[in-house]
Amino acid sequence: MASSGNKNINAKLVLLGDVGAGKSSLVLRFVKGQFIEFQESTIGAAFFSQTVAVNDATVKFEIWDTAGQERYHSLAPMYYRGAAAAIIVYDITNQASFDRAKKWVQELQAQGNPNMVMALAGNKSDLLDSRKVATEEAQTYANENGLFFMETSAKTATNVNDIFYEIAKRLPRLQQAPNPSGMVLVDRPAERAAAASCCS
Amino acid sequence: MMYGGSGTQSRRDLAIEYQAQIPTLRPSIHARRANMTVKFQDLYGFTVEGNVDDVNVLNEVREKVRQQGKVWWALEAEKGANWYLEGHISTTLKSSLKISSLVNAITLKKLIRGGIPPNLRPRVWFSLSGAAKKKSTVPESYYNDLTSAVEDKVTSATKQIDHDLPRTFPGHPWLDTPEGHAALRRVLVGYSFRDSDVGYCQGLNYVAALLLLVMKTEEEAFWMLAVLLENVLVNDCYTNNLSGCHVEQRVFKDLLTKKCPRIAAHLEALDFDVSLVCTEWFLCLFSKSLPSETTLRVWDVLFYEGAKVLFNVALAIFKINEEKLLMAHQVGDVINIIQRSTHHLFDPDELLTVAFDQIGFMTTTTISKQRKKQEPAVMAELDQRIRRLNSNSNDK
Repeated sequence: MASSGNKNINAKLVLLGDVGAGKSSLVLRFVKGQFIEFQESTIGAAFFSQTVAVNDATVKFEIWDTAGQERYHSLAPMYYRGAAAAIIVYDITNQASFDRAKKWVQELQAQGNPNMVMALAGNKSDLLDSRKVATEEAQTYANENGLFFMETSAKTATNVNDIFYEIAKRLPRLQQAPNPSGMVLVDRPAERAAAASCCS
Repeated sequence: MMYGGSGTQSRRDLAIEYQAQIPTLRPSIHARRANMTVKFQDLYGFTVEGNVDDVNVLNEVREKVRQQGKVWWALEAEKGANWYLEGHISTTLKSSLKISSLVNAITLKKLIRGGIPPNLRPRVWFSLSGAAKKKSTVPESYYNDLTSAVEDKVTSATKQIDHDLPRTFPGHPWLDTPEGHAALRRVLVGYSFRDSDVGYCQGLNYVAALLLLVMKTEEEAFWMLAVLLENVLVNDCYTNNLSGCHVEQRVFKDLLTKKCPRIAAHLEALDFDVSLVCTEWFLCLFSKSLPSETTLRVWDVLFYEGAKVLFNVALAIFKINEEKLLMAHQVGDVINIIQRSTHHLFDPDELLTVAFDQIGFMTTTTISKQRKKQEPAVMAELDQRIRRLNSNSNDK
């Protein structure tokens, strides 16, 4: 649950999505600014933390990157319980992963924290030639379900920081903030600045 | 494994490549002064990062392994090859009260907790775990027939296995080669057809990979995997909804409350569910968390004493970090404490002494009763989740 204290907020965030959609890659890009072609497969879930600044507040994300294989889904409630935010990830080159993403959205709508900020990430946006899920289709679905949507690429870093930053801005605790602009706090500013802009 | 935090990057910048093909590692005087992180390969070819103290610990461990080897070989010379089988059979069948067998059994348990020397491991594991017996019940050609029969089949299990091969200990000098991938594939695909209830579950890739490194022959690694899933671990740890794993997690939470009440109370106050860190331990049998020799020392005892050992070890990891954990006030800190600790447990005895001497005795019978007690609740919870999800999708 997002908790405030001197404008420092801790927010639990969970990543859900089909196997191989790129959940771990998105996190690795966001937290360490790296991309690795073959990431160790995640078992249960892996934990990371990263801080972003929004206006005069800082949001420390406690990120749970979950395993994608179907049978691991029975563990998911442990990770999304009390989460302030979720990123549901699918692979734009794989229609089945988009269908799976919709199921996650349904589950969170039914079981998750009602104030949860939900983002839909169409990952691997660099693989345009193999695209199977149209941007408009995902955007429409997102609009209908109250999610915000971005296409991301962990490989090229496109929209990766942006999606986390957008989430931070939308956290209920920050909603009253007067000036909706800010920056990502980083140790390697050059890399972060290379992140492309939002496409939603 | 990775964890967040700003310290990681600077340590990586300082890291110097350090290959340790020689038995004793000698960090340079510069590394000592700067308290640098060095990278080196451990006994099983895994790249490890640690500071100079870690390297010293590893050198001590290598020496202890050598000493332990002498003890085992001396016993073999005195009692004859495969003497350990005699002690084991008499304790399991309780058919013989021969003093020599009892002495052997007690000696053996103590010896195994002290560690099986790496060069004896394949033989001792294969006999004591029951893998040899399992193999002896089927025709000699079973493994070859199985693997060649299923080689070209495509199932959801084989697709998942192929996806995971390059993601299993990437960068390992043998596992991450075409040869290593092919061997791991044959073992996992073969097993997925042997037991279609399990098929393939992520996590088994790490377990099978480590078995391949230890057992030397692929066929023996396959039988070790079979005995592990069919006899050593609880049922349904890896099947469709991981119900066995859910049961183990509940049993573990109860044990933590009993054995480490201060930690359990503190973590509960932080709203920290210990399964967040323990699930991976139980599914990968610590292979993704502990250094390789420490993991294998846990497995030495696991194959001889059974799955209850996993509880001893998991409790010990919390116990070792008790003071630090009680000071932690954020979920992230708890996880970092645990992960840093597990990654640096280069001295297996540090962990196993706590696991077996300080945690206190737990019998397999007690644990089995606990499991029985938790099963209905787990089943109800899993059923309820599925029913809720179904009714939810019917609404749409």
